[in-house]
Amino acid sequence: MECAVEAENLVKIYPGNVKAVDNVSFCIKRGEIYSLLGPNGAGKTTTVKMLSTLLKPTSGDARVLGHSIVKEPNKVRRIIGIVPQELTSDDEMTGWDNVYIQAKLYGYSRSEAEKRTREALEFMDLLDVAKRKVSTYSGGMRRRLEIAMSLVHQPEILYMDEPTLGLDVQSRRHLWNLITQLKKEGITILLTTHYMEEAESLSDRVAIIDHGRIIAEGTPAELTSKLGGERIHLIMKSNNEAEQLANRLSELGFNVKVFNETLVVTVSNAAKTIPELAPYLSNVIEVRITRPNLEEVFLELTGRRLRDEEPIDSFRYRVMTRRLRR
Amino acid sequence: MAGVVSSTLIIAWRDIKKWIGRRAVFVVSIITPLIWIAFFGKSMNIQGIFTSRVPENLPPQLQNLMQELFNQALLNAFGTTDYFTFFAAGMLAVFSLFQSMFSGVSVIFDKRLGYMDRLLVTPTPRTAIFLGKVGATLFRLSLLEILLFAAAVALGMNLKPDLSASDLLAAWIVIMLLSLGLSSAYTTLSFYAENQEVIFAVGNLVNLPLMFTSSALFPVQQMPSWLQAIAKVNPVTYAADLVRYHLVGKPINDYLFHISILAVVSLGLFIVGLALSVRWMNNR
Repeated sequence: MECAVEAENLVKIYPGNVKAVDNVSFCIKRGEIYSLLGPNGAGKTTTVKMLSTLLKPTSGDARVLGHSIVKEPNKVRRIIGIVPQELTSDDEMTGWDNVYIQAKLYGYSRSEAEKRTREALEFMDLLDVAKRKVSTYSGGMRRRLEIAMSLVHQPEILYMDEPTLGLDVQSRRHLWNLITQLKKEGITILLTTHYMEEAESLSDRVAIIDHGRIIAEGTPAELTSKLGGERIHLIMKSNNEAEQLANRLSELGFNVKVFNETLVVTVSNAAKTIPELAPYLSNVIEVRITRPNLEEVFLELTGRRLRDEEPIDSFRYRVMTRRLRR
Repeated sequence: MAGVVSSTLIIAWRDIKKWIGRRAVFVVSIITPLIWIAFFGKSMNIQGIFTSRVPENLPPQLQNLMQELFNQALLNAFGTTDYFTFFAAGMLAVFSLFQSMFSGVSVIFDKRLGYMDRLLVTPTPRTAIFLGKVGATLFRLSLLEILLFAAAVALGMNLKPDLSASDLLAAWIVIMLLSLGLSSAYTTLSFYAENQEVIFAVGNLVNLPLMFTSSALFPVQQMPSWLQAIAKVNPVTYAADLVRYHLVGKPINDYLFHISILAVVSLGLFIVGLALSVRWMNNR
C-alpha cells in the first residue's frame, strides 16, 4: 500500500508541558480524502501544522510522498497546499492579486504565474469577481479564494483545516462539491473538521481524534456499523432519573447507556421498539431517534459530544467571523 | 539567490500595495511629513526669541552690535543663524526614527491573521520574508522623506550654495542606513512579540529619548556632559550630523568616523535582526 502521507509516532509538546499531539500515526492513501474528526483542541490543527512543516514535532516524523517533514521541509513545501482555518486573504487587494502573489512565492515567471492564477480562480468559480477587492466578497467566496490561493502551484496533496467553519449551509454544500471535484482531479486531501456531517459525506476514511490521540479509524461505514442498529435517545430531567430507568430497561434485556441525563438505547428497529418502551417513558422529556453516525461513534468512544466551541485563538476567530458576516 | 530577490520583491510589493490600497492610511501618511515640518519646525522660532530681545531705544550702532552678538551665539550653537534650517535637517533623521516603528506592525498582523503561516508553508527563502518586510518600509520611507525634504525647502530651509547631486545621494544613503537599522530592529521585535501593543510600548520607551539625546533638535555641545555621552552612542546623532553636513554645509570634524559608526550600528542591527528573525521562522 502506498501512502501519500505517512505519520509515524508524531508527538508535539508545547512549552508548559502541554501535550497537544500524543503519538499519532496514520497513512493517507494516494487520491483519497482522509479526515481528522474531533472537537476543538483535540490536536487536529497541531497535526496539520506539523505535516505542513510549520511546527517541528517534539518527536516522530512524517513522510509526504517519501520526503521527511523534519529533514526535507523545502521538498515537502513544494508538493503540499494548505487551506488554513483562518481567512488569510488581504481585504484591500483584489482576489486576483491575492492569488498572483501566492503564485509568485512559488517562483513562477510573470506569465506562468498569471496563467496559474487564472486557472486557480476559474476552478473555484471566482474568475468573474477576480478584479474586485476582497472586502466585497461574501463568506463563501472568501473561503473559495483561500482554496484558490492554495491550489496555484498544483499541489499533489492538499490539507484543509476546517474549510467550512462559520459558513451557512448553502455555501458549505457548494464547497463540498468543489472538494469532491478536487478529489476527482487526483488530489489527495487531508481534511480536519469538527462537523460530523462533513466528515461523513466527504471522507473515504476518518480518524477520530481526541486529546491528541487517534481513538478510532476506518471508513464512515465501518465506524458506524460497530454501533449496531438505530438508537433511541431518552432525555430525562436528571442523571439520577436516567440511571434509574437504565437499570429497569437493562433488566428487561435492552442495550442501554447513560450520558449525563440522556439514556441511549441501541435497537435494530426503533419504530417497532418504542411501543414496547412506552410504559416506562412517563418521566421522559424528549425522545429522539438517530441512525448511527459519526457523532454517535464519538459519543460512544468518549462519552462526550463533538462540541461547537470557539477555536483557541479568539482574536483570529473574531476577525474571521466578522469578515464572514459580510 | 535569484529566489531570494524575486521573493523579497513580491513580499515587499504586497505590503506597498496594501499601503496604497488603504486610501485613508495612504493620504494620512503622505500628509504627516508636511505637518511635522510645518508645525514642528515653524513653532520652534529660536531666532525670533533672540531678535525680539534687541531693545529699540538703543542707538542703531549698539542695536547692530547686539544683533551681531546674538547671531554669533546662534552660529556657534547651530552652525547657522537660521534654526529652521538646522532643525529641518535633523527632522529628516527623526522622521525615519518614528516611521521605522511601523515596519513591525504588518508582521504582527500577518502572524495574528494567519498570513504568516501561509507564507511559511511556501518554499520562500526565510531571509526573503525578513528582507521583504524591511524593504517595503525603506521604500515607503524613501517616498515620505523626499516629500519631507521638499516641504522643508518650500518652507525656507536654506541649502548649502554648492549643493550637488552627490550630496543629495549621500544624504539619502545616510537616511536609508539609519532606517535599515531601526526597521530591522522593529521588524525582529515583531516576529517575537505577541501583539502590536508591545511595539507601541517599546516605541514610546525608545523613540522620544532617542530624539532628545541626539543632535537632531539641539547641538550636542550644549548638553551636559552625561547627556553628551549618551548622544555620542546614539545613531540618530550621526545621521542628523551627516545629513546636515551634506544638505546645509555644517562642518563635522571627522566624517569617516561618523559614517563608520552609523554603518556599524545599522548593519549590526540588520544582521542580528535577520539572524534572529530567520531563527524564529525555523524554530517553532
